[in-house]
Amino acid sequence: MDRRDIHVLAAGTVLPGPPVDNAELTRRFSMPPVWEEWIDTFVGTRRRHLATDLETGQVRWSLADMGEAAASRALQTAGLRAGDIDLMVLSTASPDLLMPATVNVVADRLGVDGVPTYQLQSGCCGALQALELARTMLSAGGRRTALVVGAESCAKHLDLTVDVAGLPASEQINGVLFGDGAGAVVLGTDPLPGTPVLRGVTQRLVGLGREPGQLVEWFGRADRHTDRQAVREDYKAIEESVPPMACEVLDELLDELDWKETDVDFLLPPQLGGRMTERIVAGLDLPGATEVSLVADIGNTGNAAPWFQLEQALSRMREGDRAVGIAVESSKWIKAGFALEVC
Amino acid sequence: MTTLDEFLDFVSRELGLDVTTHDADRNVDELPGWDSMFLLTLVTALEQQAGRRVLLADALQASTLRDVHKLAVDA
Repeated sequence: MDRRDIHVLAAGTVLPGPPVDNAELTRRFSMPPVWEEWIDTFVGTRRRHLATDLETGQVRWSLADMGEAAASRALQTAGLRAGDIDLMVLSTASPDLLMPATVNVVADRLGVDGVPTYQLQSGCCGALQALELARTMLSAGGRRTALVVGAESCAKHLDLTVDVAGLPASEQINGVLFGDGAGAVVLGTDPLPGTPVLRGVTQRLVGLGREPGQLVEWFGRADRHTDRQAVREDYKAIEESVPPMACEVLDELLDELDWKETDVDFLLPPQLGGRMTERIVAGLDLPGATEVSLVADIGNTGNAAPWFQLEQALSRMREGDRAVGIAVESSKWIKAGFALEVC
Repeated sequence: MTTLDEFLDFVSRELGLDVTTHDADRNVDELPGWDSMFLLTLVTALEQQAGRRVLLADALQASTLRDVHKLAVDA
C-alpha cells in the first residue's frame, strides 16, 4: 500500500448566530428555573449556537450555508482555491435535503466541479469516516488536495411551539446537548510549513447485536403525520458505554503507532456534553496531554465537533507535537480516532 | 399531597416509577431506572404542584424519596 504522508493543511469553522446560554434556552421554552440548574449541574454545557433564531423561529442558516462558510475559511487559511480541490467529502446527520446531497450544493457554491464528491450520512464518527475516506483516496495517488466538511443543524427538530416538559426524557436531552455549526479541513499530499502529518485514522462498527443508542427519524409524505418520536437518545447506554469505548480507541491508536501515553501532547476527546467529556477525559488518563474541548461553549456539534477541536489544536501544535482525536458514535455504536504529528 | 403515600402516588404517576412505601427509605440511586432526568422531572412537577421553587441543590441533598417528600412539604 502507498504509505505517502497526508498532511493536514488547514481547518476552518463557523458558528451560526449568537451564543444561546442555558438561561435563554430555559426562558424560550418556558421551562422552570430548575431546568437551567439541571443543565448546568448534570450536562455541563453552558451555551450553544443555533441556526434558528429563537425569537422569530426563522431558520437563518442552512447546512449548506454553514458548510460553505467553514470550507471557505479552511481554503483561505490553506492559501488554496476551489480549483485546487481534487475531491470533497461532507459528513452530517442533518442534511438540508436527502437530494441533492448537501456536499454538492456546497461544492457548487465554492466553485468546485468535475471531481469526486461524497456525502456520509453519519453521527459523531462521521467526521473521522470522512477523514479516512479522503486520506485513502489521496494515498492512492493521482490526487493532491481534499476538502473534508462536517456540519450539523438542529433546525428541523427545534419546534419552538412544543411543550418541552411533556416530551420523553430521551427527547428532552437532545435539546440541551446539541449545537449547530460546521467545520472543514483541507488535506494535501504536499505539506505547508509547520502542518502536521496524519499518522493514523481508525474507525469501525462495533454494534453487532446492540440496540442503537441514538435514533433520528425522517419522514416523507406517507408518514409525515406519524407519532413516532423524531429523535431518541438512550443516554444511560451512552453514559455507560462511551467512556470505555474512548479508552479502547486510545489504546488501539497508541498500539498501532507505537506511541506511549506520554507521547501525546494534545488530546481531542469525544464532545458529548461538558460533564460527559470531563468523565471521558478522566478515564483516558493522559495527564501530560493538553485537552482541546469546546463542547461546554458550543454544545455537541456532531460531525463538526472534531474540526472545531482540530482548528484549535493546529494553532497550538509545534514541531514534534503529537495529537490524538477520539470520537464515539452511539447510533449503531461506532468508535473512531485519528493521530497527528508535526514533523 | 401532604402524606408520604400521596407523594409516592404522585411519583408513580409523574415518573412512571412503580414505588411503594417500601421504597421510601431506599437510596434513590437504587430505584430501578432512577437518574438525574427523573430528579429534574420530579422537582419540576413538585414546583408546579406546590406553586413555589424547589432548589435542585436541595433536591440533590435528598438521598431517599422520604427526604424529597420532606423537602416538598417543608419548603
